[in-house]
Amino acid sequence: MKDKRLFIHHSAFIIHHFFMVLSGWEAVFFWVFALAAVVAGLLTIMARNAVHAALFLISTLVSVAALFILAGAEFIAGVQILVYVGGVMVLFLFVIMLVNVGAEERGGEELFNRPKQVAAAMVFSLLLVVGLIFAINQGWAGLRERDREEAGERLARRADAERRLRSSATGTMKISEDTQRVGSSLYRYGALPFEIASVLLLVAIVGSVLLARTTKQELAADDLPPEVLKEVARDEPEILTETGSS
Amino acid sequence: MINLFASAPGLLLWQEAATSRSEVVWQGITNPDLSKFLVIGALLFIIGVAGVLTRRNIIVIFMSIELILNAANLNFIAFSRYLQDTGNANAVAGQVFTVFIIVVAAAEAAIGLGIVIALYRNKETIFVDKIDLLKW
Repeated sequence: MKDKRLFIHHSAFIIHHFFMVLSGWEAVFFWVFALAAVVAGLLTIMARNAVHAALFLISTLVSVAALFILAGAEFIAGVQILVYVGGVMVLFLFVIMLVNVGAEERGGEELFNRPKQVAAAMVFSLLLVVGLIFAINQGWAGLRERDREEAGERLARRADAERRLRSSATGTMKISEDTQRVGSSLYRYGALPFEIASVLLLVAIVGSVLLARTTKQELAADDLPPEVLKEVARDEPEILTETGSS
Repeated sequence: MINLFASAPGLLLWQEAATSRSEVVWQGITNPDLSKFLVIGALLFIIGVAGVLTRRNIIVIFMSIELILNAANLNFIAFSRYLQDTGNANAVAGQVFTVFIIVVAAAEAAIGLGIVIALYRNKETIFVDKIDLLKW
């Protein structure tokens, strides 16, 4: 009887152990970056200064990129840092500095909505936390149960894939094939969405340039509706003479 | 009778209950698995939702939306990793999808911030409760 119990324990451990599990230093780094991501995320939505919020969001994004690396997605981690931190967040910082957030920084303005709204949002968020964590645990138990027989097969596949990787120059590490696989999958299965995404980016560029034009720039491009033109001529005639149209 | 119960669908849970509870929890901490990634993703998502619902500054609301999109990315990456051992030919589909989400997030940020600048020029405010022209 004791033998049987031991065997069951052992097999359960093996099954538990090989469903995408991190161990050793990977586990330590996972918890460090997970904690950093969540804490920096909380500080993002609580910071009084919008620039501080942006910097906390950058820390969250970098921590999530580290989690991507731990999950074996090195290419996406690089894209995340280059595009998000290097592109989108710089854009955010520019816009924060363009618009006036001084009142909020000095503490003269209320940071959050009315207290009742905030309380309702907190209750909703707490319910969501409890519900989602419960659902994830249930679903994960079900998924493990479903894939139980496959555990050995998965283990063999993982070991086989690891063995077929090329070694690095020093021979102490393996070179990841992740980027290669993402590339071929992107152009093989996602070619049409890829093209659509490029059109989307073009539209976004044109749209943001058009949206952010000043009246003077619109006037210079001869792009003002007649009624707005009349208003401008009445209120600020100096713009008309500056741009040379009358 | 006991054997009959043992072959019930809840077998795995029953076995884990047989080992000590704290041991299972400790194992979950020292060997974080897919579910831990999902929990972190869920927490980031909820933080983003709370930010959208509570903040007044429209730029911080945009940042919260970026947080929500990143939580979705984390889930996609975790499931993609889980699928990679199944021998599925397109197991990195989750990572490809993540690339598209990042593209959409970048486009959304560009358009959204353009709108913020236009709004600020016209209304001189970035607080969402002051922008109530459409409210009747």
